[in-house]
Amino acid sequence: MTRFVTNPMILKELRQRLRESRAWLLPTLYLLVLAGTVSFAYYAAVDPAIGGGQREVQGADIGEVIFLTVVITQLVVLLLMAPVFSAGSLTIEKEQRTFAGLITSLLTAPQIWWGKFVAALLYLLLLLFSALPLLTLALAFGGVDPAQLFKVVGSTVLVLASICTLGLWCSSMFRRSVHSTAACYGFVLVLSIVTAVVFGFLVAHWESHNAMARAEGPPAYVQAPMFLNPFYPLLAMLGGGAFSQFTYPVSSWLLFTSLGCLAAAFAMRRIQRSGEQL
Amino acid sequence: MIEVEALRKIFRGGRGLDGFSLRLESNELVGLVGPNGAGKTTLIKILSTLLPPKSGVARVAGHDVRTDPRGVRAAVGYLPDVAGVYQDMRIREFLEFFADAFRLKEPNRRAAIERALIRSGLADRPEDFVEHLSLGWKQRLLLAKTLLHDPKLLLLDEPATGLDPLARITLREQLKQLHAEGVAVLISSHILSDLEDICTRIVFIADGKNVSEASSGAAEGSAAASIRCELEFDGPAGTVDSILKDAPDVRIQERRDCLLVIELNGGPKEASAFLHKLLAAGIVITHFDARGLNLEDRYRRAFGGQTR
Repeated sequence: MTRFVTNPMILKELRQRLRESRAWLLPTLYLLVLAGTVSFAYYAAVDPAIGGGQREVQGADIGEVIFLTVVITQLVVLLLMAPVFSAGSLTIEKEQRTFAGLITSLLTAPQIWWGKFVAALLYLLLLLFSALPLLTLALAFGGVDPAQLFKVVGSTVLVLASICTLGLWCSSMFRRSVHSTAACYGFVLVLSIVTAVVFGFLVAHWESHNAMARAEGPPAYVQAPMFLNPFYPLLAMLGGGAFSQFTYPVSSWLLFTSLGCLAAAFAMRRIQRSGEQL
Repeated sequence: MIEVEALRKIFRGGRGLDGFSLRLESNELVGLVGPNGAGKTTLIKILSTLLPPKSGVARVAGHDVRTDPRGVRAAVGYLPDVAGVYQDMRIREFLEFFADAFRLKEPNRRAAIERALIRSGLADRPEDFVEHLSLGWKQRLLLAKTLLHDPKLLLLDEPATGLDPLARITLREQLKQLHAEGVAVLISSHILSDLEDICTRIVFIADGKNVSEASSGAAEGSAAASIRCELEFDGPAGTVDSILKDAPDVRIQERRDCLLVIELNGGPKEASAFLHKLLAAGIVITHFDARGLNLEDRYRRAFGGQTR
């Protein structure tokens, strides 16, 4: 266990990542995007023209809007970034011809994987936590409690960790970063879009046969494709209105955890046998 | 140090190893020679645990490459044909990372890093970034990194590729020094003159099989069963041709106008007899040079290149 904590791969990876110019550029851009989104959400919430002009705007309403907007926006941005950090991390070693040096050292495949995984995830967490002040802004307005904040952050971390393991698996499969990154984006696309489309078809089919039960929302087997959608647990926790039918965030977390474990196992196995690729 | 017996590794393309065998003792510096695709890199990759063999036995320092790869890795220093470096790391950081990767503990770790810095000649610039080093310096750093954990065996795959003459000379001296310190070395290279200079033995490989072996260096002359003769003559070429035709032990290596390079079975005595035969036929010899076969001649003999 100590070897996993004092893994030299982690130090090497973090050192290399923080020396890249994107180390400061990406957080800057990320926070600018989020700040812009929050400003837009704020003005949208307080502008009576957008809100319909009928009712008085409460602080809690503003807080809820800001919170939901930031949470969804940051997940979108981080889902776009996760493949860049994870799917290239093993292929870059192959491209730079440094991978043979790693796997002929006394580092084990799990240690190499763990070092790459921690480095990729830590960078994403740096972005995630740098946006916490924006999220806590919502707490100041009200309408959101700290427990929700913790749940949302925890769920986002879990989803990002799973995407990182998928990225690392892709990275262990391919020789070129461009191919592994494209494959990882393919997975993200399938999880985010295809699951939603399949869910849409299933709901339409279910509603056509169960017109009476519409108010109760679709059962678990109809929602099942959405369990693998990265946005599902967030919407299940926060979403009112149209998303109130999403009621199984725990199932989604369990599925993402299983997916991550499976991808990690495959990636480690692949690293062990990667001599053929060199 | 290395025991390889009937090793097989077949790739989809067909190249690989096909029953190759080799024994290398701990006091040897062995050169592995063969044409492209002969199986040199495959053999070195199997011995460094990068590739699993299909069948046969491969043991390094008593550890089987299949059942005890970690034992093999602890005993071996492997330098691939095109080895990369972490350009964005400082020289010391680069060595520290590999010292940790080989689980060196203090105070051995610090001592190994200092030794590597001195060995690579980079002791005065440990804080420089690796990307600022020339190819020759990078190769020296890589060799020093390969030696960090004091391996008993060095596996070097084309280590001189791309190096300038001075860097090649330095590499040769380093390998001689390591051999003198008791490190066994298996080196694959196409630069035959370098191998001839440093190796105690040369192993020829083609199509994944053993072709032949030869001692190298000073011992090679006396052990040679052939002699190479270079001669220039003045006289009718037809007479020379008919003499060559009647001499079954002679193989022509090169023929240009009045210049002839031949390989002759036997030693100086046979060369002298051949010279007498030419003189007796009335051919005027303006230049005659007979010497034992060098590695290049042996390579030609093993893999072709004769004109007859």
